[in-house]
This record gives sequence, structure tokens and C-alpha cells, in this order.
Amino acid sequence: MGLLEVMIMSRRFLILLVGLFMIGSVLALGISPARTTIDFESNLKKNVGFDILNSGGSDIKVVFSAQGDLAEYISLPVKESIILGNEKSKSFSYELNLPPRLEPGLHTGEVFAMQLPSAGSSAGSQILATLAVVTQVHLYVPYPGKYANAKMYIYGANVGEIVKFVIPVISAGEFDLSSVRASVDIYTKAGEKIDSFNIESISVLSGERKELVYNWKSDFPIGDYVAKASLVYDEGTINLEESFSIGVEELELQEINVGDFNLGQIAKLEMLVENKWSETIGGVYIETNIFDSNGNVVSNFESAVKDIAALSKESFVSYWDTAGVREGDYDAEVSISYGDKESKKSLKFEVSENELVVVGLGYVISAEGREDGTDTIIIVLVIVIVLMILINLLWFLLLRKKLSK
Amino acid sequence: MGWLKMSKHIWKIDLVVIGISVLILMGLVGYARPLVIAPFDEYESLDGEILFEFERADVLLIDDNADFTTPDEYRVVGGERVELEPGVYYWKVSGVLGSEVRKLTINSRVELELIETEEGMAVINAGNVRLNVDVYDGDELVERMKLGVGDISEEGDGFIGGYDNE
Repeated sequence: MGLLEVMIMSRRFLILLVGLFMIGSVLALGISPARTTIDFESNLKKNVGFDILNSGGSDIKVVFSAQGDLAEYISLPVKESIILGNEKSKSFSYELNLPPRLEPGLHTGEVFAMQLPSAGSSAGSQILATLAVVTQVHLYVPYPGKYANAKMYIYGANVGEIVKFVIPVISAGEFDLSSVRASVDIYTKAGEKIDSFNIESISVLSGERKELVYNWKSDFPIGDYVAKASLVYDEGTINLEESFSIGVEELELQEINVGDFNLGQIAKLEMLVENKWSETIGGVYIETNIFDSNGNVVSNFESAVKDIAALSKESFVSYWDTAGVREGDYDAEVSISYGDKESKKSLKFEVSENELVVVGLGYVISAEGREDGTDTIIIVLVIVIVLMILINLLWFLLLRKKLSK
Repeated sequence: MGWLKMSKHIWKIDLVVIGISVLILMGLVGYARPLVIAPFDEYESLDGEILFEFERADVLLIDDNADFTTPDEYRVVGGERVELEPGVYYWKVSGVLGSEVRKLTINSRVELELIETEEGMAVINAGNVRLNVDVYDGDELVERMKLGVGDISEEGDGFIGGYDNE
């Protein structure tokens, strides 16, 4: 073996050694909160706290600096600090010393935390790259007088259902908004006005955010529509425009029922799917992938193919062979396929010896039963007792009247 | 005279019966009120996955305002894990009666985790918000990119991550 070959081997060994050390100590840097929002006050002095997160498990040296519009008003009492490997997080703060006046609107500043190579680290865990994370400060300076910011969000629905109109309003002026209301016109894509409504007035305090909400019954054909809203507040008007749809070709996974679950055996999963579209959707099937902690597929199973009638629900049965599956949490992806479309839902399967809990559907469904009767019994009992009290009182008063005669 | 004496007796019995009925009614109402266990009011967390625990309720409502104008509604049995984005939330449960309203905050977190790829070093967005990440090679800015949670950046030797404003 020549000298050159020995040198190459040694270099490879060194690279491998560095790699092994890198795996052992992950380099990570975090900061929380990502942003702090403050309303302007003249000459305000405020201490703003933040945490540096050290999830890597090694000692790190961090240097702080400020940038942005507000940098000149930010003072950092600590310019650098060492965070030990066993400290998951360490708290710091910066002081915001605001001037008497600033231009109205949004002003921003950033505090940078930059990780420097730590003198104490071993050769293998030497930092090969520099990380920096930023916490922002957003300062809102109110506009003179009364001022509103608004957006419109529309949550489409099927025919005959409720379309929700939500208009969040922020009072960004010096003074409170005593009356904020909206009138909304609905147009077809062709520009024909089909309906109008008003949203009742609300008041919004300075710096506050409130929502105007209206539930509109969508008794109109399937299609795309445009909503034009005029938001009227004490001293101004804001025009808003948004498109929305009535009727969506959509299949929604509503729940997963698990029968008697025993780890190691074949589990029966009944998946309830709702067709929200106003026509039958054919050729629907469900594919489920279950992943391990490394993101590798450990199980894959499919249901039979079915059609789902318009605006109705259909149950799909899938079988999961849990032989060799261990207790624990697994990420799962449930895909509903129909035609050339696919609707995916990410869930979590919590697997234990006698129970499979599906998390992430807005439901927690397991083999355990549900005590539905309790509520009804309580309601009946309350009604009966109230009635008894009323009858008793009535009788008591009548008897008293009779006796007094 | 005898009837008057007996009627006074009846009144007393009647009052006792009404009193007992009212007490039972109050007890039932108290029992029917949902018991909210967790998370406690003004709870703060860096982890967006929250376990809600309660009894005697089957609907969990979560909203970003205390008026519950556009709540997310979850039909649940007695507990529910919900993944929430960073922000301030108000929540309550509802059964036969409604519960108190509680507030919880998911604090935003910017976090970069350095990884070694085949072509060099990159970072993963290990926080809970979308990030703007500047990638440097030496002093030169080579890439300015948006990273979703869990996404991996381009390769470089310097990385600056901050909350994506958009």
C-alpha cells in the first residue's frame, strides 16, 4: 500500500469520524416567539422577552444584534451568551425605547440570534455552518382619527346550505369605531345581481379586532359567484370583493370506526365518506398508508370500489393486518380516490394492545363505546322536577286560597 | 279548628317538599354542567398539539375570538387532541349546558436544524411557522427561500431564518 493510498484512507476515516460526531450532536437553533406585536405609545419603554431554544444538546455560543426600522429603538442588555447543552431554552430580553412620535402604520424590527462556533466543542462536533434565527417586533402606530382595516372571507357551501361571510375589522385609528356595518351584494359571474343583505353594526375599540359575520342561505344554482361588500364605519367606507362557489365536488372523510381491535390480528376499519357534491360520484375507493417514525410505509391497504349518491354518506371497509406492528403512534395518510381526483387526509393512529385511536378527524373514535343516554336522562329529570315544583306550588297556592275563604 | 291545624301541617310539609326539590334540581344542574379539566385557563405552549380533556360534554368549540363568531367545532367523547397553528385561541365545551370559556396561546417558534446532505449542509424548518430563509455561501447570498414546516433548504454554509410575513 503506497503512501498516497494511506493518506486517502486516513482522510476518509476522518470524514467518517466527523460524520459520526455530527449524527451524535444535532446542530439546531431556535427562538420564540417568532413575532411580538405592540401598539404604539408615546415614549413607551418596554422589556420584550424571548427564549433561545437549544434542542441540539451541545453547548452553543449566541450573539445578538438588532436590525430594521426599529433597530435604533432596541437595546440589547446581553450581546452574547453561552447556552449549555443541557439547557433546552434560555430566556433573554431586549428593551424597546420608543420616541414621542412615529409615522402611522406598521414599523418592524428584528433581533438576530447568531450561533458562533463554540470553543468548548469537540473536534467532531465543530460547527461547519452558521445558523441565525430572528424574532420580529411589529409596532402598530395608530392613524389619526378613526381608521379601519378589513378583509372578507367567504366559506362556500353546497346548494341550500349556509355560506358564511366573515369580515374581520381592525380599528387601526386613534379613536374607537362606534359603528361598523356592511352591506353585501351577490352577483353571478355574468354580473347579474341575485341577492343582497346587510350585516348588523358592531363597535370596535381602538387597536381591537372584531368580526362581522353573516350566514347566507345559498338557495341558488351550483356555480361561481362574486360578493361585493361596502364596509361603512364612522368616517369612511371600504369596498371589498371576493369570489366564492356554491356546490363543491368534494368527498370528505368524516369518521373512522374501529371494530374490536387486538394488536397482531386483522383490524376492520369502517371509513365514512360524505359526498358533498350534488351528483353521484362513481368509482370511489380509499387507500391508507401507515408510516413509521422515519417516514417509511409500513402498511398499505385499500377498500373496495363504490359509488356514493349525491349529498349522501357511504361506508368503506378496509382491513389492516397488524401482525408485527408494535404499540405506538403512527402517521397515516388516507387517500380518497375518484376519477382522476384524490383527496388526502393526514391522521395519526395511536396503537395500543386493545385499542386503536384515530386522531385528526375532529373525532376520537375507538373500540370503546359512548355513553349517549346520560344527557337524555339528565334533561328528562330536570324537566320532571321543574314540573313537580310548579304543580306543587300551584296546588299550594290554590289550597291556601281555599283555606283563607 | 281541626282542619286549620291540619292545613298548617300540610303547608309545612309542602314547603319541605319544594325545598328538597329545589335542592335536587340545583344538584342536577351542577352535575350537568361540563367539567373542564385541561388545558387550564391562560395555558401557553410551544407545541401546537393540544390535548383537551373534559367530562359531561360532547362538543368542543375553538375560535380565535371570545365571541365564538366562527368556531371550529369538534364532536368528541371526552378528550380530543387538536393540532393548532401558533396564535391565541378561546375554547369551551358544550353538553346539556355550556362550560366556561378558557384561553390558550400557542407561541410561535422559529427553529433551524442543520443537516448534512449529499451536496453539503442544509437546514430543516424545525419550528412551527413558515419561514423566510436566507442561504449563504461564505458572504454571498445564494438563495432566499420560503420554507414550510418540515421543509429542507438549499445547500450552503450560512442560514438565517425568520418568520414569513406573508
